[in-house]
Amino acid sequence: MFFILISIVSGAIVVISRILNTRLSEKVGLLESSFFNYLTGLLSALILFSIVKDKVTFNEFYTIPFWAYLGGALGIIIVILSSVVTPKMSSFYITLIIFIGQLFTGIIIDCITLKTIPFPKIIGGLLVIAGLGYNLHVDSETEALIQTN
Amino acid sequence: MYNFLSLLIGALVAIMVAFNGELSNKLGNYPALVIIHLVGFIIILGIMLYKKIKISLKNGLPLYLYSAGAISVFTVMFNNLSYAALGVSLPVALGLLGQLITSLAFDHYGFLNMKKIKFNNKKFIGLSIIIIGISIMTFL
Repeated sequence: MFFILISIVSGAIVVISRILNTRLSEKVGLLESSFFNYLTGLLSALILFSIVKDKVTFNEFYTIPFWAYLGGALGIIIVILSSVVTPKMSSFYITLIIFIGQLFTGIIIDCITLKTIPFPKIIGGLLVIAGLGYNLHVDSETEALIQTN
Repeated sequence: MYNFLSLLIGALVAIMVAFNGELSNKLGNYPALVIIHLVGFIIILGIMLYKKIKISLKNGLPLYLYSAGAISVFTVMFNNLSYAALGVSLPVALGLLGQLITSLAFDHYGFLNMKKIKFNNKKFIGLSIIIIGISIMTFL
């Protein structure tokens, strides 16, 4: 239950930080706002780390596969690609397609790590996409109404 | 082309969650947070040096605009924590639910000076379908 809750909260934080980040990038530029994003992110991570005083044994650094370190790099590729796509497509399709990619890649990764094909996740995932598609459709209808008025 | 790029963005997000989650499992949650942001910071610094972009602090910008990175640390942390317990697809779906509810609230109340958009009752239909889908993913 705890993990379900923090997953939902993490989605809430995504929205707030996206709004703030868009505002900042309108003022200072995309790369600049990403710079500040990672700077304040790094500082906060360091503060958290120094508060909890987790023990790190440096031997562990070598035993971890190299790709596991690339999450931060992927984050930047995602920011740059998003800035390419956003002005070219309606937010309806961007939101829906990104989510489809995210969910089904997630399901594939779960297949690989758990070594089973999780049918409930596929069916549930399709329903989530249907629900998202419906709500986004309602959104684009209201937007069209606002524009014609 | 742009459809494919959007699909790729989504796939990369899921892969990133798995990478970060693995790092966090092996290294511990907080050291992993530092490494993830350090790697990202070094790369963005490299791009900026390459493109010769100078950073200047603009006066008059409210300080809270700079806090996006500080709060998204918790997104990464929460994702890493749930990765170990729930895998990738379920946190992704739950995160979507959180995003939808939050953006509905922001639209309806106009938080952070957003344009107010009244809640459309039709959206309960979509939200219900999403919650049913998530329940199937979680409990079956």
